[in-house]
Parts: sequence; structure tokens; C-alpha cells
Amino acid sequence: MTDKDETILRVVDVTKSFDGIQALEDVSFGVKTGHIKALIGPNGAGKTTLLNAINGILPPDQGHIHFLGHDVVGQTADRIASLGLSRTFQLIRMFTINNATVLDNVMLGAHMRLHPNIFESIFRRGKVDKGEREARERAMELLKFVGLENAHNVVPTALSFGNQRLVELARSLMTDPKMLLLDEPASGLNDTEVDGFTHLLLAIRNMGITILLVEHNMKLVMNIADDIVVLDFGKKLAEGTPQAICANPEVIEAYLGGAQKECVIS
Amino acid sequence: MADFSHLVQFFFSGLTSGSMYALIAVSLVIVYKVSLLICFAQGEFFVIGALSMVTLVSKGLPMPLAFVLSILISTALGALVQKVLIKPIQNAGIGNLIVMTIAISLALRGSALLIWGKESHILKPFSSGAPIPVLGATLQPQVLWIIGITIIVLLMIWLFFEKTMLGIAMRACAENRLGASLMGISTQKAALLAWAWGSGIGALAGMAIAPLLFMQYGSGVMPMVKGFIAVSIGGLSSIVGSVVAGFLLGTVEAYTIGLISSKFSDVIVFSLLMVVLIFKPSGLFSKG
Amino acid sequence: MKRLKQFWWILPFAFIALYPVTLAGGSPYWSGLLIFVGIYVILAVGLDLLMGYTGQISVGHAAYFAIGAYTSGILTAKYGFSPLGAMLIGMILTGAVAWALGRPVLALKEYYLAMATLAFNEIVVALIIGLEWLTGGASGLRDIPPFSLFGFVLANHMHYYYFVWAIVIIVIASSRAVVQSPFGRTLVAIHSDEIAARAFGVDTARYKTRIFVLASIFASMAGSLFTHYMGFLAPDDFGVLTSINILVMLFLGGIGTIYGPILGAFFMKLLPELTYQIHDYELLINGLILIVVLVFMPKGLFGIVTVIRDRIFAKADK
Repeated sequence: MTDKDETILRVVDVTKSFDGIQALEDVSFGVKTGHIKALIGPNGAGKTTLLNAINGILPPDQGHIHFLGHDVVGQTADRIASLGLSRTFQLIRMFTINNATVLDNVMLGAHMRLHPNIFESIFRRGKVDKGEREARERAMELLKFVGLENAHNVVPTALSFGNQRLVELARSLMTDPKMLLLDEPASGLNDTEVDGFTHLLLAIRNMGITILLVEHNMKLVMNIADDIVVLDFGKKLAEGTPQAICANPEVIEAYLGGAQKECVIS
Repeated sequence: MADFSHLVQFFFSGLTSGSMYALIAVSLVIVYKVSLLICFAQGEFFVIGALSMVTLVSKGLPMPLAFVLSILISTALGALVQKVLIKPIQNAGIGNLIVMTIAISLALRGSALLIWGKESHILKPFSSGAPIPVLGATLQPQVLWIIGITIIVLLMIWLFFEKTMLGIAMRACAENRLGASLMGISTQKAALLAWAWGSGIGALAGMAIAPLLFMQYGSGVMPMVKGFIAVSIGGLSSIVGSVVAGFLLGTVEAYTIGLISSKFSDVIVFSLLMVVLIFKPSGLFSKG
Repeated sequence: MKRLKQFWWILPFAFIALYPVTLAGGSPYWSGLLIFVGIYVILAVGLDLLMGYTGQISVGHAAYFAIGAYTSGILTAKYGFSPLGAMLIGMILTGAVAWALGRPVLALKEYYLAMATLAFNEIVVALIIGLEWLTGGASGLRDIPPFSLFGFVLANHMHYYYFVWAIVIIVIASSRAVVQSPFGRTLVAIHSDEIAARAFGVDTARYKTRIFVLASIFASMAGSLFTHYMGFLAPDDFGVLTSINILVMLFLGGIGTIYGPILGAFFMKLLPELTYQIHDYELLINGLILIVVLVFMPKGLFGIVTVIRDRIFAKADK
């Protein structure tokens, strides 16, 4: 069995309700290692809730989530992150206190590698400084990868929305993830930016990193997704290749509607 | 061991302080529901209301007039504080807002110290009359006033927030900013009104209990903290919960002071707060 | 001018070193004042680590000041411990208390956290007053010996001044080291957005607890220094009002800067002296200072100093 056939993430019968509203009901699917899978569906379908369940921010009421073979339901978000799962958020979450710069944000991604502690910060400066130098080099490499190496010293809020999304991407890559969960990474981006983003995501996949992305931008989804899972009212509506999804009448009715024209594989 | 009449006496103490805590708790909840802020300065309105009334009465004003004027003074002060100090930094992040209410508390207390000095002031009871003997204990007539005022205030709050357009709109503010503005009330106006309500009720609590306590500039700190304890127990968004918790707290405190020791009653009350905060921070009565 | 830019920080050191002999003219009153300033700097810097960097509001920092102070006082006055030993025991005890409280209390948010810290401060003070047989209760603990270091008694105010400020410098240097390191970056991340921080593998509870322990240990040290200078202790000095004073100093000086608290402590301890303030105005002035800072200068005095310093250097570069 080659790497590509392994399922790195398996979601099994995940169910979650809030205040009597069923946000997710028996959702099951898998993501193969090295693939890009898109999670689409109308607003309120439960996509972000599902991501929150996967990375441990808001565990499901029922169901199992297997990442790299471990059942991660009930584990804390930081524990799950340490397994190699990194995530971006729908609303940009930058670290901004005390004028933290873009570089500071990306370097935070090295937290798990550096294991900061107080004692070392005071008494083993040499070791700490060496770790910082290495982290800084890697962070600058990643900023170069996303095209923002010249912006490393500015505060993130000074950047355009699209560029902040790129910083987020660099920050997540800094954690050396095995898999990325991206929550609407292209929202708010113009067409040029989406094109750039597409290339980046493909390059990331070529590095061997699996991607699960929640997206509304059907053009982006069509261009990069290996397969797609569709959510509606908390239930899985369909799952399959982009062609299959585009041809699926239920999906078209529930969600694609006018976006059907984008269902053309380029 | 305490005999029955003592137990009854403790009950009356509990009722008295319980009403005070309940009123303060309610005032905190009202401000919170509308502007999502807990006002650390609430205790100062408590004091300013009481001491204003003392001053006005000593200047010869008849009690009812002094009463009304004191409420107006505190209410206006609350609204002023909201407009001049809270509104400018309302987007500053909750840490700064909390510190701002602490700063306001310091400034108001400091002003009270300069105006009224360090001495304690006594207010005459609202009605003259001998203490009433009940089951071997004595009940000060002022306690009846306190309970009466508490009931009237709670009734007014219920009427306002449930039955008037303005009140309903203000509640909507807390739940949904857009919806509230559609109902014809700006969030700013709602916040202003909430603070006015809050400071007014706080002042009322102070004025009602002033005849039974020695009021000085710093007398508001503990009641405010205990009011917050009541809110923590009863639930930050629950008026009913806070009222119940306030009376409960007053009663527990009174019996602790009476039966155990006054020195350790604070330790017990604050430890109770910490326990509640740690194990059920959203309050015993909320579902969260 | 470039040399000045590199070494400007020597100026404060020089000031500290020379102050007692020059400006203070050897007077115990003025060096005594700076001893208090030093003690409050330690308290405010610790609070800065907790509030300014990690974003955890504490309205009860004086509780740890109290534990350190009373441990030192009781062990030295009643049981004949050495001041250094007592101070170390105080630090361990305070650190242990903070460690135990850390996880449950720091998990609380905003108001609840503020109230919990306030509640604990009140509990500590109430216990000090209540446990009279141990602490001297409301009337206080007396006959506390001065600090002695390996037999050398620091009874002279000038010796004690240098000792206190040596510790202050160590506290500042360690705090700087902590915040200018990956640990510091993690604290800032926790402050900015805890959920996002967790998504990057940060065990936020653990980091919050650790910085809380450090801040409380600093406060304990300050308490021990305070005890041996005063010679007696009274519970009044350790209440919520003191905690709030530390907070005002922190905001005035500039929160989140480590150096800001130094300016804040200087300003607030020296201002009354310079203007012969009547004690009664203290509350109102503290409140007004805090209000002014929050509305007009959120970066505090240090923010202003930085702006001025940058302007001077910008001009010099031309």
C-alpha cells in the first residue's frame, strides 16, 4: 500500500448539537494522505463546526475522529496540534499584542519545536538564542515561499486581507504539519490573489502535506481538490470527485445553483 | 449555643444584608446585560447615594425630597460616567474596560473622601418607631423599609424590562445589536440608560440601609464585592438568580457571623466565591 | 551619537548607583524612598509579566506580597530563621500557592478572573487578621530583624539600598530575558488569542500558570525586602487597595514594557513627596491618573519616553 492510499484523517459518525440545534449529524468521511479534499456546503451547514471538532476546539457529542491512527476526540487542541495537525480560522486570528510583527507571528509556529521554558530563557541563553536563529531562518524561508519576506517587520494588521491570509499559511507551515485544515482561506481575496493561493496550495501538497479545506470559492475548489465532500444542514450530502459532485443534482440544488458554471475542470 | 431568638435575629440580619446584596447584584446584572460590562464602581454609587441623602437632610430638606434628589444625583452621575469615561474606550478590549471601572471606583471613592471626610455618617431611619419584637428578636422598622424598597425596585425592573417598549428594546440590545437598532434604540442610549438604572439602584440600596449602618466613604467596597459574589452564584445574566443568590448570601453570612465568628465570615464568603467561580463560573442558576 | 544610542541604558544604572551618595546626600529619608520604589518596581514588573504580556488580569497581586512578607517576618522574628533562608522559604511557599491556584483560577476569564484574584487577596488578608497567634493580627507583627547576608547585617540604609536595587536589577534582567525569548512570544500569543495559540500547540494553562508562579515569586521577594526594611508588618499594607496601587503604577508606567513599571513606581512614590500631597488625595489622584492613562496615553509614560527618545535619535542621525 503506497502512502497515497493511506487515510490520514478519518471522521466517523460525528454528531454535535448546540442548544437543541443539530449542527452535525453522523458525518463520516476520510481524507487520503497527500490529497487535497474540499469541504463545501451552504452557510450554516456545519463546516466550521466540523473543523472545530477535528482540531479539538469543540469536541463532538458523539463519533470518532482518527488522525494518524489516534482517536483524537476529547483531546485538547494543543495536543492534537502536536500530532501534526495545523489549522487556520475563518476570521483571521493574528497575534497583535505588544506590536507583534508578521515575523513574530510566523515564528510562533516554532513553539512546538522550541519547547520554551522560563529556566532556559534566563539561564541557558546560548541554547535559546541558537534555537531562535534557526527558527528565524525557517520563518523567513516560509515568508519568502508565500512572497512576503519584505513584510516581516510590519504588524499584520497593516497588510491587506489577502496578505494576512498568506501570513497565516506561513505560520501554519512553520509547525511542520502533516495536515492542514484551512477554513475559507480564500474568502476576501480577489481573483489574482486566489490564483496565487491556488499555486501555493498545490506546492504545499507537493511537499507531502495533506489539506482539508473549507471553501466557497468553487473555481479554487475545482482547480485543486482531489475530491470533495458536501455538507448540508449538518449532514453529509455527497462525497466524490469534483466531476461527480458537479453532476450531482442534489448538490446543485442545495448549493451550487448559480455556481454551476464554475464546475468546469480547467 | 444560640437559642431560637438569636437564630431569628440572625435571620433578620440576613434579610437586611441580603436585600442590599440583591439590589446591588441586580444593578450589576442590568449594566452587564446591556453593555456587557461589570461596573466595579457600583459600590461608590451605593455610598454617594447614602451620603448625599445625609447631607441634604442635614441641610434641612424633608426626607422624601432628599430621597428623590439623591436618587437623581446618583443616576445622573452614573449616566455621566458612562458617557464621558466608558464610551470613549468601549472598543479598547475588556481588560482595559475592567481597569477603567476600577479607576472610576477609585476616583469616585477619592472624591467621596474629600467631600465627606473619613468620619461615619448616620442617617435617620425613614420612619420613627420603636424596634418591633418578633419571636424574641427585635426587628428594626427600617428593615421593613429595606424590604419594601427592594420589592418595589424589583417590580419596577420587571415592569420596565418586560412591559415597556424601551425596556424590551434594551433587552434586545444585549442579545442582538442589529435587532435593537431596528427597534429604535441606539446601543449608546441603551448603555446610558442601563448605567443610569444601575447607579440609581445602587444608590437606593445605600440609602435604604444607611440608617442601620455607619456609612463612610469606603463603605461601598464590600457590598459591591458581595454583590458580585451574588451575581457569580446566581448567573451573570439572570436577574432572578442574582436576587435569590443575594438573599442566600446575606443569610449565610449572617449565620456565619452569628454562629461561628465574624473574623472568619469573610474567609468563608470569599472562599465560597472562589469555589463557585472555579466549579461553575457561569453561575449556579444558568445552564451554561 | 551612535555610541549614545548603544549605551543609553547605562544612564539609569549610573543614576541608581550614584543616587544615595549624590542627590540623596546620604540622607536616609531619600534612600528610604528609593528602597520603596525598588520594592514596588519588583511588584509592578511581576504584574506586567502577568497582565501586560500574558493578559491575565489580577486585582490581588498584593496577596503574594503578603505571603512573602509574613513568612519572612514570622520566621525571622519568632523562630530565629536567617533572613535569607526565610526569604527563600517564602518564595517557595508563594510559588507553591500560585502553582496550586494557577490552573483553576487562570482558566477563568476577565471579570471572573479579576474577582477570583480579588477574593484570594481578601482571603489572605482575612487570614492574616484572623490568625492572630501567628501573625499578630490587626495590631501587626513587630521586632523583625533587619536583613543579614551571611552574617553581614544590612542595617545601614545605604547598604540596604544597594542590596534592594541589586535584586531589582536581577528581576528586571530576568523578566527581559523571559519576554525576549520564545517563551515571551508564546505569552503574547496567549494574550492575543488563546484559541489560536492552542491551535499551535500551546498548552495555555501551563504557560499561564508558569508565568503566574514567576510573578508571585517576585512579589514574595519584594515582600521579604519590605519586611526587613520596615521592621514591622501590618495587614493594611497588603489589601486590595495595595494591589490596585500596583496596577495603577503599571498602567501609568506603561503596561507590557517591563521598563514602564519602573517609571510608574518612581512617579507614584515620588509625586506625593514632591508636591507634599495630603494622604487623603491619594485615592482620587490614583483614580484620575488611571483614567487619564487609559483614555489618552495607553502606552503610559514609557510610551512617551520612547517617542521622545526616537525623535532625539532620528535628529542625531541626520
